[in-house]
Amino acid sequence: MSQDVPDVPTAQTRHPSAIAPVGLLVLVLLPLLLMPLAAIFIFAFEGGFSTFITALKSPDAIFALRFSLFIAFSTAAVNAVLGTFAAYVLSKYRFPGEKPLGIVVNLPVAIPTVVVGTSLLLLWGPIGLLGIFLGKFGLEPMFTPFGVLLAHLFVTFPYMLGSVKPVLDELEATYEEAAYTMGASRWQTFRYVILPALRGGLFTGTLLTFAHSLGEFGATVLVSGNLRLRTQTAPLYIFAQFEAGNVANANAVAAVLAVLSFVIFFFLLQYTGGQGRRA
Amino acid sequence: MAIVLDRLSKSFGAQNIVDQVSLEIARGELFVLLGASGSGKSTILRLIAGLTQPTGGRIILNGRDVTALPPQQRGTGFVFQNYSIFRHMSVADNIEFGMMVQKVPKPEREDKRDELLDLVGLTGLGDRYANQLSGGQQQRVALARALAYEPNVLLLDEPFGALDVKIRERLRRTLKEIQGRLGITTILVTHDQEEALNVADRIGIIEHGHLLEVDRPEALYARPRSLFAATFLGTGTVLVGRALGGRAQFGDFSLPIPEEMPITEGSRALVLFRPEQVVLSSEKPDSDLPVIGRGTIIGQNFAGAARRLQLRLPRLKSTRQIAPPLPFGEEGLLVEAVVPAEVGLDGKDIWVGLRGWHILNHPKPRLLLYDAGAGPAATLNIGKHLMDRVNASATVLGVTDESEAGLDLIAALRSQKEVDLSRAVKCLRYGRPAEQIACEYAEALYEMVVVAVDYQHKTERDRLGETVHGVLAMTNAAVLVVKKEPEKYRRMLICTATGEAGKNNVRVGGRLARRLGIPSTLLHVASGSDSATRSALNHLHLASATLRAMDVSNNIHIRPAKNPVAGILAEAREGEYDLVVVGSHGPGSRPPFALEETTLRVLAEAAQPVLVVPAEEV
Repeated sequence: MSQDVPDVPTAQTRHPSAIAPVGLLVLVLLPLLLMPLAAIFIFAFEGGFSTFITALKSPDAIFALRFSLFIAFSTAAVNAVLGTFAAYVLSKYRFPGEKPLGIVVNLPVAIPTVVVGTSLLLLWGPIGLLGIFLGKFGLEPMFTPFGVLLAHLFVTFPYMLGSVKPVLDELEATYEEAAYTMGASRWQTFRYVILPALRGGLFTGTLLTFAHSLGEFGATVLVSGNLRLRTQTAPLYIFAQFEAGNVANANAVAAVLAVLSFVIFFFLLQYTGGQGRRA
Repeated sequence: MAIVLDRLSKSFGAQNIVDQVSLEIARGELFVLLGASGSGKSTILRLIAGLTQPTGGRIILNGRDVTALPPQQRGTGFVFQNYSIFRHMSVADNIEFGMMVQKVPKPEREDKRDELLDLVGLTGLGDRYANQLSGGQQQRVALARALAYEPNVLLLDEPFGALDVKIRERLRRTLKEIQGRLGITTILVTHDQEEALNVADRIGIIEHGHLLEVDRPEALYARPRSLFAATFLGTGTVLVGRALGGRAQFGDFSLPIPEEMPITEGSRALVLFRPEQVVLSSEKPDSDLPVIGRGTIIGQNFAGAARRLQLRLPRLKSTRQIAPPLPFGEEGLLVEAVVPAEVGLDGKDIWVGLRGWHILNHPKPRLLLYDAGAGPAATLNIGKHLMDRVNASATVLGVTDESEAGLDLIAALRSQKEVDLSRAVKCLRYGRPAEQIACEYAEALYEMVVVAVDYQHKTERDRLGETVHGVLAMTNAAVLVVKKEPEKYRRMLICTATGEAGKNNVRVGGRLARRLGIPSTLLHVASGSDSATRSALNHLHLASATLRAMDVSNNIHIRPAKNPVAGILAEAREGEYDLVVVGSHGPGSRPPFALEETTLRVLAEAAQPVLVVPAEEV
């Protein structure tokens, strides 16, 4: 709508007294957000551009970044399916225990990620309930890429659900019913009617999942065993390099992660902003 | 027959949303289901489309029993009130959707789509999206979409409800035209009587899940069979009088009862006349038109070609007005008339005559009598008395929790030695009495429920027993609670308080008093030191007028007392009353077993039968 309206400055932007609150906000945000972000880049390029490239070119750093991206993609892909399914079930069906289930699926947001890591270890680890059983077949999911994926799925699950379910909730029931009366099967209805309507939610959910997976630390550090060149994600690499005193190495990867996050965030804002304009 | 519904039913728990609806609709017919919201009309449509599963009955479309088929295989076109246009698809894709999933080849699809866009008047708008269309245009798309795959029947659920009047009218015409051209069997659901009269080949009137009447619009308007149809479709005046000597008597004027009308001598007779059937003149008409009386114009609405007048006439003896409903405190008779706009009439002393009317076949008032089987037969005796006196029909309900005891109970109900209730329907249910009474009431809508105080199960603390409490808590019926039966019915005590709740006591109590032919006393208890307040006096004055309009003679009594309960009980003890009427709150505002304290105490302590009237109109 606002597209059609010529750009007239609104009363609020012209208001002179806006200077004080805006200035105060920036002042507060400076040490909290803006300066730390700047610090990453300043330190990453402290030793010059070549040092930065060298730091990034170490096999450990390359592996960590690639592994992180791989896990983030996988997590986003699996959760897109799983989260949509969960959202569909929770939104369309009324059943006893619906409320508790709704809370349980959102719980991962509330639980500290370290606790998530611990609980996964206690279940899937070598001495865990499922772990002992799987061990008999020679399967050890913990301290492997699969374990990392598991942890990331757990932690990011609510983001996909949270972006898709509200869209589904808003779709009138008659939407599906209209398709049924026209002869569309359940699958056809989902494929041609529901799914296209979910595009926006899926996109947002995927980006959120991807971003969170990229930065996940607490659960990953426990579940992965932090094995370099095997299960070490970028955040773990940064932490390990810091601990070892290689600040330059840590900063280089941190800068790359930050840029990636900015790009994702940019798309996210673009999309949600665009939606707001269309509505 | 294109659509046959055979005893179609749908219930949720104890609630019957659709109750044994049987209907046959011919090929090419445009049938309108008309009813208020919540009457079950939309549910019938959803049952036909297969979007809801019936709990009983069959649905046959074009000779094929589709009751067990999923919606995909029924071949119905459904148009929803909210349009439900797929927002991410263009208009063209929306229309093609049905054909696409049914694998119609692309070129054929496009031809059909263009043809339909033409038909609904949206040529050239195929590339638009829903958010680029107006409400009326969206509904046209929905119509085209529902017609695209050539369904057997077209079902429209309040299709024009969300549109403004002008567009609604235009779309109605479009629909009628398209329907006629394609010859597709159509059911349209609406609550808009004007819409129904406008488009329908036939109208079916639905109330509380029952299909009351089916007929052509003209016939339904001119000669409705039920009171509901008479007042729901169009406006008009309905009066209740008495059948005497083959004529319906309304005070001093009478109308002949058609021979085919089965109205027994002495029972109630209803007449309906429409505004356009009322003849007004400033001098006494010398033709032999029946004349109701002379009235005063109290209001006019100018409506272009015609002028609508409201007139007040002096009340007619032994006559009650049902429609239009009289405002509380109105004593006279209110009649609507339509005259050409240019006719000028003086405000006073206008002769009101009838050039046409319709005698209604009104069902008898229905009573639900609960009998515990053993114990005193007080409910049955009162029921019998009411049946004889007011020509009511009654259902005697027995409830038991064991299947074996059921046989004994039904036998006991059949052979009521002391009471002859051969005309009453006997009915047996299993479960807890209060719940089953509430179910029976909800299913068949009785005018009054008669329950006796359960002497076997009452305790010191709870002197009424579980059943009485339960019935009062679970139904919004007028409940007559019986203790011992009065020998005669001489006088009724109506305890009334100010406010909306107090008005209903007067209306419902007055109706019973009128049928019993007894006078009543309106009681107001002035608690504390001061006498009745101004608003209380005003209320009593209006209540008295309301009773007079029902032809119930009455007097007002103001009694000072410590509190309402004490006042009511003292009056009931000292006066010669055989029935007490008190109010209560409806189930909406009363959680189970949380009846108003006053009502409960009067119930527990008064010796007479007590009629408990819910706050809302029943």
